[in-house]
Amino acid sequence: MNQINPIYLGLFLVVVLFLSVFKLDSQRISLNEERQNLKVTQKLVNELVALKDVYANKIKIKKELQRILNNPVLKASEIVKFFTNSSVKINSKSMDFNALNKLMGKILNASYNITSLKIKRLSDTKVSLSMVIKW
Amino acid sequence: MIFNKKYNTIFLDIDSPVMEIDEKINIILSPSLYWVKKLTLLVKYVRDVKKLLPSIFEDYLPKGNYNYSAYKNEKVGADDSDFFVFAYEDQKIIQLLAQKNISMNNVASIRFAQSEIYDFENAYKIDENKSICIKDEIVVLLPSNLLQDRQELDLQSLSLSKHKITLQQFSHIVDTKSIFKIASVLIIFIFLILSEYFITSQKTKDITKLKDELFIQNNLKSTMFQNKAMLKKYRTLNKKQIKIRKYTAQILSIKLQKDEKLSLLVVKDKLLSAKFSGVKKGHDNFIETKLKSVLNKNVKMKKTYKNEILRLEISL
Repeated sequence: MNQINPIYLGLFLVVVLFLSVFKLDSQRISLNEERQNLKVTQKLVNELVALKDVYANKIKIKKELQRILNNPVLKASEIVKFFTNSSVKINSKSMDFNALNKLMGKILNASYNITSLKIKRLSDTKVSLSMVIKW
Repeated sequence: MIFNKKYNTIFLDIDSPVMEIDEKINIILSPSLYWVKKLTLLVKYVRDVKKLLPSIFEDYLPKGNYNYSAYKNEKVGADDSDFFVFAYEDQKIIQLLAQKNISMNNVASIRFAQSEIYDFENAYKIDENKSICIKDEIVVLLPSNLLQDRQELDLQSLSLSKHKITLQQFSHIVDTKSIFKIASVLIIFIFLILSEYFITSQKTKDITKLKDELFIQNNLKSTMFQNKAMLKKYRTLNKKQIKIRKYTAQILSIKLQKDEKLSLLVVKDKLLSAKFSGVKKGHDNFIETKLKSVLNKNVKMKKTYKNEILRLEISL
């Protein structure tokens, strides 16, 4: 018929209360960390998605380059373009400065991944061009 | 009561001798250890009676810390609203048990003599000086010399009732109501905190899930590590492309002299090279200085000059 001392019972409940508070506190810290992680992840995702859209959107890049290279101003330059699955090679043995300005203005003002570029002066009005753009 | 048969039963009175007990026992309390009343009350249930007990005994009891008990009068012919009500001092009984060398560990059950001996017809001998008998359905303790024809009381053959009481060993420290109140408050707090814990835990899981879904929704790799590596690659690429455009613009912005010409511009791997022809000696330094002044201080630039040809190589 021995009974538990109520002081022990009280102490037990107080200990359980403290443990609960401690657990809750740890969980709140975890929640805050997860919130911070989510913010970091969102920031990373936004930046990565934006950069991928600029440099790795194959269909968009191809379409834009086709439009630029089909410009009537470049017709006389006899530009040879060779599209592969991950790049385009653009070559012109001789093009005038006006056409070069037009082409480079369009390409340099947009965000393309230029991996190789060679512009060589042939005369006072002509240059040769060789360029590789990847995605 | 079949369960009580396995334990011996003793009668506990103030004048009981000190005992040597090393096994579980049932205890029957002498009438000298409790106060009893037979009442007819306009209530149906024992739990309703128990609420009234402190006020019923209020005017009769000497000062003390009492506990109360009650049960229905089960005697044949008794009314449904007839009750036996009791008041007793836990600490007094506990102290008496200790005096008689009876450990609480060895106490299987405690009952009032009233509930166990109420239907006896004769007087029974407790010891040489005291006896018990029934007067108006109440078990009373009387000096032996007032009674004749006393018989020996065979406690072991008693069939014990279900009217047990539990002694509150710590009621002198905190009363039961306070214990319940404090425990209830603590339990409510624990419950609230644990509820908050589970809600917080669920929120954390939801955020983790949301984080994983972000990658899937945006067609990215499944792990943070892979995506960080990919971001690093694209950042480097982006930086390089910005530099190509910036340095090319700065090279083209240099004002050259009449015979000087930019004859070659090459971007390959991590280098941007520019070749100027017709550069007079001395003016090569001017072009280099001019370019350095517009470029970032940390940009590495290499210059070679030979036969009026100036080559500049800038690290990307």
